[in-house]
Amino acid sequence: MVKFVKVLPIAAKIGTVTIRYPYAKPIVTDSFRGAIEVDPSKCTGCGACTRICPPKALSLNIEGGTAILRYFVGRCIFCGMCADICPEKAIKITKEFELASEQVSDLYIDVEHEVVTCRKCGSKFVTSKLLNKVEQKLSEFSKELLSLCPRCRRVEMLSKQVYLR
Amino acid sequence: MESLSTDNEFENLYSYLKKISNRFVEEEDHLRIVVENEKLREVAEVLSKTEGVFLRTIAASDERSVNGFYKMYYVFGLDRIHRNIVVEVPLDAENPVIPSIADIVKAADWYEREAHDLIGIKFSGRILHRFVLPDDWPENVYPLRKDYTVQDLVKLYRPEIIAKAREVEAEAAIIIPIGPYHPALHEPEYFELYVRGEKVVGARYVGFMVHRGIEKLAESMKYDQVPFLAERICGICGYVHSTSYCQAVEKALKIHVPERAEYIRSIVLEIERIHSHLLWLGVALHLLGYDTGFMHVWRIREQVMILAEMLTGSRKTYGLNIVGGVRRDIDRDKVNKCVKVLDSIAKEFKEFVEIAMSVPQVKSRLRGTGLLPRNEAASLSLVGPTVRGSGIPRDVRRDYPYAAYKYIDFKPVVRTECDNMARTEVRVEEVFQSIELVKNFLDRLPGGGIAVDSWEPEPYRFGIGAVEAPRGEVIHVIVTGRYSPYRWRVRAPTYQNLPAVPIMLRDVDLADAPITIASIDPCFSCTDRALIINIEKSDVRDVPLVALSLKGSRLLR
Repeated sequence: MVKFVKVLPIAAKIGTVTIRYPYAKPIVTDSFRGAIEVDPSKCTGCGACTRICPPKALSLNIEGGTAILRYFVGRCIFCGMCADICPEKAIKITKEFELASEQVSDLYIDVEHEVVTCRKCGSKFVTSKLLNKVEQKLSEFSKELLSLCPRCRRVEMLSKQVYLR
Repeated sequence: MESLSTDNEFENLYSYLKKISNRFVEEEDHLRIVVENEKLREVAEVLSKTEGVFLRTIAASDERSVNGFYKMYYVFGLDRIHRNIVVEVPLDAENPVIPSIADIVKAADWYEREAHDLIGIKFSGRILHRFVLPDDWPENVYPLRKDYTVQDLVKLYRPEIIAKAREVEAEAAIIIPIGPYHPALHEPEYFELYVRGEKVVGARYVGFMVHRGIEKLAESMKYDQVPFLAERICGICGYVHSTSYCQAVEKALKIHVPERAEYIRSIVLEIERIHSHLLWLGVALHLLGYDTGFMHVWRIREQVMILAEMLTGSRKTYGLNIVGGVRRDIDRDKVNKCVKVLDSIAKEFKEFVEIAMSVPQVKSRLRGTGLLPRNEAASLSLVGPTVRGSGIPRDVRRDYPYAAYKYIDFKPVVRTECDNMARTEVRVEEVFQSIELVKNFLDRLPGGGIAVDSWEPEPYRFGIGAVEAPRGEVIHVIVTGRYSPYRWRVRAPTYQNLPAVPIMLRDVDLADAPITIASIDPCFSCTDRALIINIEKSDVRDVPLVALSLKGSRLLR
């Protein structure tokens, strides 16, 4: 017998392997990493995720009186580095990957944060949640200094030093 | 100790190199010598005449802000003693000229042309035309020089095509380029085949259509972001790039990766090889007109893809590596599942491959076509299954052991027939070998952590990271910076192997040209086109490669 005909019984045994996608759900394993989900109640707006994100899908900007952590799923590569690095464990990796949309606005998800105003210069420099957190951690640290932006704080501390002398 | 006796073999070479150099540094994996410009050709001559030495890569680097020089790093490999010789040549900041060595070391050709385009190094002894950069790139702008940031370059270079689109008021429209330079193909290579009747008499290659400048991009990214960029160099074997990058950084900064992480890297590398070889075999069978085989190989391959996803979290771009280790562990449950799947693949593939190789058109079109003689393979410093199909047992896993390969005995798969069949057989056997390797690694998987706790970057350290990719050696050279790589040089196997294709194409039937080109596994898209120039009739035809190849199979029937 011609040997290559032996493929026929294999084909008959295996049958059809193609899934009737999208009518039958594609199988992803439990390990699969898809789009991320940010929990607004846990997020403090520290921006650690925006600094590690390789494709820059996450950004943190202060617009008006609010800080916006923006997740653009169109750039996301599903690496999950943000979830690994988040100090608040506010980022969850989901199994979602069918994310196409006719509206580009669907691809943006914002988490909004209230921001603190520097009591001296009036600039907006940090989210109130993050400031609260720092306050708790540094209980011995002067509350007055914490309500200053980094630049004013430096000036304040330096002038105090000079005054002490 | 074995290493001592083999070291003696190159004792003369070592003492010569140390004597001729101004300064030398001896590291665990390499000897780095600093040589003056005028002595480079002599050194290259001596190295190229030494049996068992091959050129692995060349990196040009702009280090004017660090030490006042441009630098060229020539990395030569001594396979037998698992060492590298790095020849470092500092070049004048005002006038960076270096003698060309392309006439002595053939493989240096492309590297010199690339350094000329991207860093503006001048090579005395040869005239170079633009090779990597597009025709409309501005004069005297060398993108890899530190004078430019990525943002500067984006402002400096506006592709002509954008202006064209504006002219026809198509500003808002999307540009769809069509033709051999189609950037949507995963690796648009373009060959001109010169034919006499139905025989190919010569070939010319035009490349670098999709140069993306990622080496430059990485200089603006943080150390732990680059693995994800590196992984996107190749859509089929990306994990080898992220591993090479991490290894180069780890070597440069002397970071010791936990053993368990080394094993996990090796396991995933071998799984990637299995999927890649199966993918190649499927495409090769398709080119030969045996589509039944194509479907079956890819059906078997699908199990590997699911396995990879289970182990890493993604089917393809695994995202597993970071400098200092890996991000995901493999638990007992996954080990058991893995072994089960691998056993089933081995059984199915064995049964199938015997049938596929008995198909008349597969056999007759692979055997005796695309000859690559052993001496030519050696002189071009070729890598991977391409060189192993020509009788040279070069394999990074054995020659420069990394990750968990240092803990096992390993014998490269070699064939001596030098034809398309030989290269196919190497890959087929490597599938079985990789399955055994993964099982072996899973069996010995040691305990402990999977990444170092922390590490500190130190600027201006030099490191080499190499991995045996499915297509051959991938090698990354790194000069570290404070927060990002200072210079990151990537060399993929196809870069080294493509110059061999014109040799393989000599005197093949036109219909066998596509499978011959595909035999080095250059991630070819089946819709890539060849231009046929008939010398006798002097007419020019443009045909899809796959149509050309199928014609050959029909003739056999």
